Amino acid sequence: MESIARRRAVAYVCRSCSRQGLRLQRQARRAYSGTATRDDIYDVVCVGGGPAGLSLLTALRANPTTSHLRVALVEAQDLSKIRSWKLPPNQFSNRCSSLTPSSVLFLDQIGAWSHLEQDRVQPYHEMQVWDGVSGARIEFDWGPNPNPSTGTTIAYMNENLNLTSGLLKRLEELGGVSVFDSARVEHIGFGEQTDELDLREWPTVHLAGGKQLLARLLVGADGANSPVRSFAGIEAKGWDYGRHGVVATLELEGEGWGGDQMKVAYQRFLPTGPVAMLPLPGNHATLVWSTTPENAALLKSLPAEDFISLVNSAFRLSPTDLDFLHTQSSGQAEEYKWRLEHTPFDRQSVPQTVVGVQTGTVASFPLKLRHADTYIGERVALVGDAAHTIHPLAGQGLNQGQGDVQSLVKTIDYAVSHGQDLGTRMSLEPYLSERYTANHVLLGVCDKLHKLYSVGSGPLVPLRSLGLNLVNSLTPLKSFFMNQAAGNGVKI
Amino acid sequence: MLRHARQSVGIRPITTGSPLSRPILAARRDHRPLPASPGRRTIPTRHHSSSSSSSVNPSEVSHFTALASTWWDPHGPSRILHLMNPLRHDFITRCLASSSSSSSSSSRTPPPLRYLDVGCGGGIFAESAARLPTTSSVIAIDPTPSILAVARSHARRDPSLSSKLEYLDATIETLPASDEKYQNFDVVSCFEVVEHVDNPAAFLERCGQRVRPGGWLVLSTIARTWTSWLTTNFVAEDLLGIVPKGTHDWDKYINEDELRAFFGKREGWGVPVVVGVVYVPGLGWKEVKGSEKVGNYFFGVQRVG
Repeated sequence: MESIARRRAVAYVCRSCSRQGLRLQRQARRAYSGTATRDDIYDVVCVGGGPAGLSLLTALRANPTTSHLRVALVEAQDLSKIRSWKLPPNQFSNRCSSLTPSSVLFLDQIGAWSHLEQDRVQPYHEMQVWDGVSGARIEFDWGPNPNPSTGTTIAYMNENLNLTSGLLKRLEELGGVSVFDSARVEHIGFGEQTDELDLREWPTVHLAGGKQLLARLLVGADGANSPVRSFAGIEAKGWDYGRHGVVATLELEGEGWGGDQMKVAYQRFLPTGPVAMLPLPGNHATLVWSTTPENAALLKSLPAEDFISLVNSAFRLSPTDLDFLHTQSSGQAEEYKWRLEHTPFDRQSVPQTVVGVQTGTVASFPLKLRHADTYIGERVALVGDAAHTIHPLAGQGLNQGQGDVQSLVKTIDYAVSHGQDLGTRMSLEPYLSERYTANHVLLGVCDKLHKLYSVGSGPLVPLRSLGLNLVNSLTPLKSFFMNQAAGNGVKI
Repeated sequence: MLRHARQSVGIRPITTGSPLSRPILAARRDHRPLPASPGRRTIPTRHHSSSSSSSVNPSEVSHFTALASTWWDPHGPSRILHLMNPLRHDFITRCLASSSSSSSSSSRTPPPLRYLDVGCGGGIFAESAARLPTTSSVIAIDPTPSILAVARSHARRDPSLSSKLEYLDATIETLPASDEKYQNFDVVSCFEVVEHVDNPAAFLERCGQRVRPGGWLVLSTIARTWTSWLTTNFVAEDLLGIVPKGTHDWDKYINEDELRAFFGKREGWGVPVVVGVVYVPGLGWKEVKGSEKVGNYFFGVQRVG
């Protein structure tokens, strides 16, 4: 009882605000000559304070069945900076994600959604996807049969920092998490055996500075190169696409063809990879362009005017013209103007013209596919990118992580309410069986799409165009794809 | 006792303790009796003659000794018990929710519960009961020392248990009756136990004495039917091997109507709650209405007097 009372009293304290307390703890620990104390024992230790880790802890704290658990967060970054993240209304971070209605519903259920800056979130209502080689096109919108829970919204564009910042605010409101941020994990090992306890199966996270945390369940929310996954001896298999994702925050000539109330996401499949322009509030949009590392390097090196022209070309000019523009080290703006005059296209079926790029937002990262062999081990669970890394073409990466978290929290809730030890593999089995196949199918579909559209010519091109046109004319099939994208479709 | 291969057939005296004294047919190569017709009978007061006053059968003890090392292996022979455990809690929750309101005042949160787990084995249920926030303490008893050693050593792996869970090398008969610590439990449980004791009537009587007025006696066991012989002895033990050979002695199974009759005749017990469950390979345990007549079932009865 006493321990529970003390547990309750531990409020959310970020490390920088509690140096005093930590110093005292450190002194106290010395008396135990390096061995762990009861204070170092947690029910859940989450390594990684990104969207997956933060929503896991938020969900555990918000759920009455699991809110009595002793939980800790270990994060390398200084969370107070993310917590107080703020940008002027006309500036947007270049790392954005499309949140599906089911992710938003989950974030709302755990009380986090209202803590996001709502005027920085942009719902969109239509998707335009077309084949850059053949021009075959598919349009997605809810039409006359809107989704009952979300209306005509397909998904929500949001800066990742707006999400993590909102989650941190919600966590602070809930309290009860021991936060170790700006922390370096030195080593993950196992606990010891004493007369009283046998913690040899309990993962122990050793932080630089001597702090150690013993975990009934160690959650790896620590990204694609997950140290927790390595500790658990779980392999992640997959391949690199030989492609980079180029991101940037763009300014358009207007708020979009449908105005502020009817925003459209655009994606064009080019032989080098898909290029997508996704709406942000006002006349802003975010770019995700999957392309070769060479093209990515060129894009990052260009002056703003040429960069903008290349982006506009990507949605308008033929792949042959685009290839040529990529061979030029400068002068894309002039070339684009000239070539555009000789390229027939429907203005309203491509995004509005890009007129600006925000300084410092052009960046790139390598694309890969990875899937861990399993998500669970004895006293270990992996969520988000630690479990799987997906091609960004369907914007599902972050949503998959939220799906993992939702499922893991449900699994933990069941274990707690039935007296199971929540860290054992047996207790974690439902999480694995619920998520593994679903994620695997999605990883596979996005991978096949990427490969299908990487082909620039030959018999595959008319076939895939036929497929796209066919899907477009078949309403039930289209709703299936839309429901999948919205994250509320048939569970596959 | 026709349980262990190392015991020679026929040592166990065929008893006449039960009204339906059924001959055990010629022992086959697997040392297993064929089922007699599963008719209704009263709960036996003795399955076979024994000089001890205990309900515990020594050969049962030796059978479970052999299982001790694998008790907590989730993929070992006890997996099916591990999988059943959450349903035990669901069942107890259902019983407590149906409690007649004699003892608890309605609006406030109920006081934490004291459990006595009889025949706790390696502690699958006892540990889980102790982990529940609604539990104040669990006393878990078993007469098999090697299994208790496993239970104690396993409990050391969870720091949350030491303050709430206590194992005792005892039977319901040897548990001190005078000590208040061992009296007036909110829940007395004996899961998958009555089919292993020699004198179920006396055993249940003694378990019932430890329940506080308003508390619950909960148990689970298997009905004695052709189906249960086929599923638990033949299919589960011989064919699939998902239950260790020699775990079940079909002759000792008790039917739910026999349990109902047993408590119906006694003063101070309420109307029993009965739920049948079926193990579906690949899906796990499922509640199936009516299956209490043919296979595994939970039985709970509240002490009202």
